[in-house]
Amino acid sequence: MAYIGPKDFSQDTNLIAEVMRVMSGDLNLEWMKDHPHPMAARPKQPKRGLTLDDINDDPHYGPSALPEIIRRHFSMTPRGGILPEGLPSLGYRVNRKSDLWADSAAALFEESKSRRWAPARNVPWDALDEAPLSPEQDRAIRQLCTGLTSIGLVSTDVPSRWVWLMNQDFHEIKYWMCAQMFDATRLAEAFRKRALYGQGALGCDSRELGELLKIVMESETYPLASAALNLTLFSFVQSLGRRFEFLSSNAADTYLGTRLAQDASRFTAYGVDHIRQFVSAQPAQLEVVNEHLDLVDNGLVGYLGSRELIEPLIVLSGGVEPVAAFYRKAAEEYFERCAAAGLGARETRSPLQGFLKMLES
Amino acid sequence: MSIRFPSLEFFKALQQRAKDDADAFEKLGVCDTTFGVRVGSDLYRIAFEIYECTEVDEASDPASLDFVLTAPVALWKEMFESVIANGGADAAHTINSLTHVGDVMKVEYEDPEGHDRLYRFMATIQRFLDEAQHLDVELN
Repeated sequence: MAYIGPKDFSQDTNLIAEVMRVMSGDLNLEWMKDHPHPMAARPKQPKRGLTLDDINDDPHYGPSALPEIIRRHFSMTPRGGILPEGLPSLGYRVNRKSDLWADSAAALFEESKSRRWAPARNVPWDALDEAPLSPEQDRAIRQLCTGLTSIGLVSTDVPSRWVWLMNQDFHEIKYWMCAQMFDATRLAEAFRKRALYGQGALGCDSRELGELLKIVMESETYPLASAALNLTLFSFVQSLGRRFEFLSSNAADTYLGTRLAQDASRFTAYGVDHIRQFVSAQPAQLEVVNEHLDLVDNGLVGYLGSRELIEPLIVLSGGVEPVAAFYRKAAEEYFERCAAAGLGARETRSPLQGFLKMLES
Repeated sequence: MSIRFPSLEFFKALQQRAKDDADAFEKLGVCDTTFGVRVGSDLYRIAFEIYECTEVDEASDPASLDFVLTAPVALWKEMFESVIANGGADAAHTINSLTHVGDVMKVEYEDPEGHDRLYRFMATIQRFLDEAQHLDVELN
């Protein structure tokens, strides 16, 4: 149902009288007089341009003076702006700084834009014609791309479920999450195009991948969603990008794998920083995050074991052993990131360990 | 006159090539990392800031670096031979391919966030090493 404002502005005699006064030249310019917090924002490094960190130097506008819980307003007012009486609440529900904050988010947002790429023109698609693969390898690559397309699409959905609930005072995180949505969209676009290029076809969807993505998407709180998406899922997506590049035999797949790893690494960088700050500020949540990641890791086991993923990897890698070694390395790096995020030794509790041992035996 | 590899002069020449090719590096985007290249027993420190390679020097303390790419001299030579022959590393000789399995070229690091900078900025780092295609290098 649409929101209906408290006034019928078109029939508001006070508003109309004010407008008539202004139109006759009676400007009071109150909005121009009231500037209690001027600041001189300039680029610190001109080659980098004017960054969010540059305009955050003043505590009135920057995040340094943000309280842990925002109680003063739930309106659309940008942080540091003047709050007149009677602003409507926009209904924000994520108002605790440590629930979403990462000091690195502003820089990651800038990095995301600076390192952008356009699948339509930047991927050297012609290279796929010059180095044809065997029919089996060709189908295997397109199958991997089908899964990556699904991951990209759902990874746009996850930030979108939370960003509109976050208080405007945390705008750096909101900007960053919008950049994530665009990054994830580009991954979906690029790998869909790779699957369909030439004599292409999408492959078979995976029920296990669907379950993993549903576990991530339906995380109950934003910190849990962030841990699931950025730390767990995108640790593995980054590894898949590196694997894709490693398995490539042409410039197009090399490009795609490198960019997948590049973009996924920004997700993991935010995930580590966010969860570290979250569990540091709210230590009681440490076990809650770990219990959630036990569930996510279990979903990941399903995907890693699914025929729709492991079989194309085996076809492209030339056997089971290289795939087991790849999974092992990906999991070890994931556990390192979890430890850096303050989650402790997740390798001692994650169901991934038992799965890997079974593969290696 | 050809430049001997490995040597500080070689990496300084790569830095100069990157400066000459500034537009290409700007197109790849910002790159903020200080990493190491260990060729045999020699360690070189390479710093990128914004779009530029700002520092190349010999180093002794890997702990101050985000990550160190470590390989025997012969493997680095093989990689640069591929760069020179193909106008950039072929698929088998990219930094990602050489480090992916873990026992060909090693990536040493203490902090996983520093390690991830290798992948965040891989395209820039690869482009930097690919600049060797424009140098007269003495590999043997």
